[in-house]
Amino acid sequence: MKFDGAVLYAALIHELKNTLGVLSMTIESIPMQNEPAHDHPVDAARLLCQEVVDRLQQALLVYKANNQPIHPAIDAYSPHDMVHELRDRTAALSRNRLRVEATLNPDVPAIWFLDRDLIEMALINAIHNSLSYARSSIRIEASMAEGCLALTVRDDSDGYPEHVLTSVATNTPYRATGTGLGLQFAKLIAQSHDNRGRLGELRLHNDQGAVFSLLLP
Amino acid sequence: MSLPSAQDQEDSFDFGALRALVVDDSPGMRSSLRLTLSNFGVTKVQLAANAAEAIYQVKNKPYDFILCDYNLGEGRDGQQLLEELRHTNLISVETVFMMVTAESYYEKVVATAELAPDDYMIKPFSAEVLCHRLKSILLRKRAFRDIFRHFLAQELEDAIAACDILIRNQPKYVVDALRFKGELLVTLGRFEEAETLYQQVIQMRAIPWARLGLARSLHLQKKDEEAEEELRDVLERAPEMVAAYDLLSDVCLAKKDAPAAQVALERGVSISAKTVRRQQKLGEIAHANGDLDTARAAFTNALEKGRHSIFITPSDFGNLCRVQLEQGDLKGVAETLKKNRSTLQASPEGQLVTAITQGMSHTQAGNLQEAAKALDAAAGLRAAGTRGDANIMLDLASVCMASGRHDEADGIVAEVAKNAHDSELLLAKARRIYDEAGRTDAGASVLASATSEVRKLNNEGVVLAQRGDYKTAVEKLQIACSEAPFNPRIMMNAVWVILKYIDQVGMDAKMIEDARRHLEEAERQAPGHARISGLRLQLRDVESRFGVNRASQT
Repeated sequence: MKFDGAVLYAALIHELKNTLGVLSMTIESIPMQNEPAHDHPVDAARLLCQEVVDRLQQALLVYKANNQPIHPAIDAYSPHDMVHELRDRTAALSRNRLRVEATLNPDVPAIWFLDRDLIEMALINAIHNSLSYARSSIRIEASMAEGCLALTVRDDSDGYPEHVLTSVATNTPYRATGTGLGLQFAKLIAQSHDNRGRLGELRLHNDQGAVFSLLLP
Repeated sequence: MSLPSAQDQEDSFDFGALRALVVDDSPGMRSSLRLTLSNFGVTKVQLAANAAEAIYQVKNKPYDFILCDYNLGEGRDGQQLLEELRHTNLISVETVFMMVTAESYYEKVVATAELAPDDYMIKPFSAEVLCHRLKSILLRKRAFRDIFRHFLAQELEDAIAACDILIRNQPKYVVDALRFKGELLVTLGRFEEAETLYQQVIQMRAIPWARLGLARSLHLQKKDEEAEEELRDVLERAPEMVAAYDLLSDVCLAKKDAPAAQVALERGVSISAKTVRRQQKLGEIAHANGDLDTARAAFTNALEKGRHSIFITPSDFGNLCRVQLEQGDLKGVAETLKKNRSTLQASPEGQLVTAITQGMSHTQAGNLQEAAKALDAAAGLRAAGTRGDANIMLDLASVCMASGRHDEADGIVAEVAKNAHDSELLLAKARRIYDEAGRTDAGASVLASATSEVRKLNNEGVVLAQRGDYKTAVEKLQIACSEAPFNPRIMMNAVWVILKYIDQVGMDAKMIEDARRHLEEAERQAPGHARISGLRLQLRDVESRFGVNRASQT
């Protein structure tokens, strides 16, 4: 049999992702003991594990997108459902360490056309960031901006460092690790959403914390 | 869980009453999914390790919610399970079916399949996400309650009206309701309206399923050039959309381009090889194209992927053996028969396929005594009323002729021809058999006398009906039906005139019973034929106007 490194690589990531999924569930089943020396490390392990799972999901995407554009599977989804689902997911990840809120502007339509998996992947990345840096709260928002649906993750951290903001705004690469890698991704995902020539965008700014927005045409 | 009543709170659900089935081949995953479900109150949970177990459980008791892993190890996968459950009506449109997959690529392949699950979950996922997704499906089903009620009662016009209400009143479900309405319009043969509807969705956004729907409604209006253009463009953007290859192959066949139809199916198979019907179709087209290797591989795959599948019939074994015989691979034929012996012996149709195949194989090998034994067995089965599909019956005729059993052969050909008087493909095959046996003239006369009577009765019946003489038309077509009891076109015409007659003269209990029976036979012979659903609706309409209580019938 021919050794197919690429296929093996994808299969391996898959398996890692699934194993980590099980590990993550195992950690969740460790009961809290109301004792910081025990609870804090367990909690940290749980979060970290979730983050690795989400990152592996990206790794698979990169692997598939290798040298070819991302093809989003567009369908009609409810921004309302998405925002509330993400809020609950975030609340579960933060385990009451942070206040997690959802805001829906009244002008957001009942449905929007997007690739739910890709968009959630990008947003959950931003959420992991906020979980690490936010002081006390995270807000997930849906609103309309320039005719696009804007899905936003907002926290009360110190905000993005200047070089990250510049690089995303000017499209100049910087050494992408950790947060940076996730942002590159989010950008690719946003741009893959094309509606009659209008492309989606990733916008970052600081406003009493980090503000991460995906604009979807 | 019974469907919630209108008085229910807007989005409250009694998860404790929800009867759930978890299907996963890994015991660890099964119990962890059960745990996940219990996190939000779904506690009535049964477990199944594979498709066969799941079907067994669903047959035993109804479920409201099935959570199924796509990959079920050996045997059928989750998508095949879903297709079987829906096709056999073991679960209805009201049952929630969610697929669990390891990666998002699945969505692209399967979401546009003919039968899509209500939603899918990418592993691993948390209880919160599952709970949200389930809730939103249940809310959607609740919004669709009136549509489903009419749909299940086969009141398709009313179902469409209910879709329109939903489209007007609930923006959240506009796209879902349009999708459902599009399928209803196609079922009712209202292809032009379907085309308009899909254009309307595409105006919002060119989503793949809408473009596929558009191509389908174009194809059904015989606008095959436009359909092909649409499909080729869709596939350029979404090359993994298997359903588009299936449709493209139909379009190519309609354009009489069988090689292109084969190419389309081969590409579909290369993406998703597990669908039995795709393999069957590829086998048939490749066989017609003379590409025996591809045909053999496809028929073999169909049997392997479809082990225990409801989509496999004795014809599939016959198809594979026919190709093997044409390849001169008698050993292969013997192996196929041996390997599937118990399946084939289990039904008279299977026994007939075995006998015919053995007859052909022995004839080819020159074992005339053995061949005669097999043909006797086939004759015995036929005398007892067993029939195979038209192709295998013509095989039987051919081998009978080769053994000098001319009368028997002529009888079989006449029977096939009567029941397929308008199928050029089958009649041509029959003529070829006579040509090869050097009995061209005899063949011409057998075919002419077999088809002329049926054709005459049918034409007379149709003309009489068009003139408004339904009574005589019914008489003619009833005779045609007894002459050609498996001819779908005759059956459908008979149903049509009977309904016209009753409409004019009044209810006739025996006739409506005949109409019902003819329609069932037509459906068996030509499943999914475009006229059938329309006739079924007319039948129901006549029954309800004349107050026939269907509940008393079975």
